[in-house]
Amino acid sequence: MKIAIFPPNSLILADLIERKGHEALALQKEIRKKVIDPEIDSPPFNITEEEPIKGLKYAAIEVPSGVRGRMAIFGPLIDEADAAIIMEEAPYGFGCVGCARTNELSMYYLRKKKIPILELQYPTSREEAIEMVNTINTFLDGLEEKNG
Amino acid sequence: MSKEKSDEVTRMIILGPSAQINSSELVQKIHMLELPLTIKSTCYGAIIHGKENVVKDAVEKIRKLDPYNIFTKDRGFPPGDPRRCRAKRGAAREGFHQLEKEFELLDCVREALEKPREVHIEKPIKIDPDSLKKIITECENED
Repeated sequence: MKIAIFPPNSLILADLIERKGHEALALQKEIRKKVIDPEIDSPPFNITEEEPIKGLKYAAIEVPSGVRGRMAIFGPLIDEADAAIIMEEAPYGFGCVGCARTNELSMYYLRKKKIPILELQYPTSREEAIEMVNTINTFLDGLEEKNG
Repeated sequence: MSKEKSDEVTRMIILGPSAQINSSELVQKIHMLELPLTIKSTCYGAIIHGKENVVKDAVEKIRKLDPYNIFTKDRGFPPGDPRRCRAKRGAAREGFHQLEKEFELLDCVREALEKPREVHIEKPIKIDPDSLKKIITECENED
């Protein structure tokens, strides 16, 4: 199954999903498409004026172009998802996932999709971290059972 | 996009804090797999780059070296890309900060993977209208 993760660049979530034989819809897969193209129109990334236009599918015209541009990358991942794991309060304030409004919008779309969703809080202690891993593994095992 | 480029992927191999091997040993072991890969040694482990099926095969073999202490993650940029490489930027690359935070949890992840426990996941239930009305009335009375 294709599983969307949030934060979309999380190592722990992506790794646990792959250990169970599923595909993690990580942000890096979409970013790769933008950065290895030999014809880069807008260095350093191939984010052009086309992206905010593509983002209109997910956000209204009055939404800032930064949010729409990010949604042009996050959106296709959300569309593909068969299930999702959302980890809230994660320390992701760096790089391209540092936009709080895009993060809220992405989580809203995932919740609206009516797919199996597991919502967690970023662990702050050892016990919470162990509990989180066990919860994720139980959720992933449940998906396998549903899927046959 | 050229065909050779489009099917090439990059993977980060991250060693957990309790790993039985270090990054130079890891790189040696990856070299010994004799797969057509670009390998880069890093402070957290290694980066491998190559055709998607070769990278997938390599990741499976690398995991077997220390299943609970080796973690992998996709990377968008190829190894040593001047747009991301620390050597050119003069500071930590953006993704490093998140990796640094998640690295702190990897030992707990290892512990949970070694001793798995069945947990019960409670499904979130919808609030009934009466409870919502009660909360609204309470809030109004507070004001």
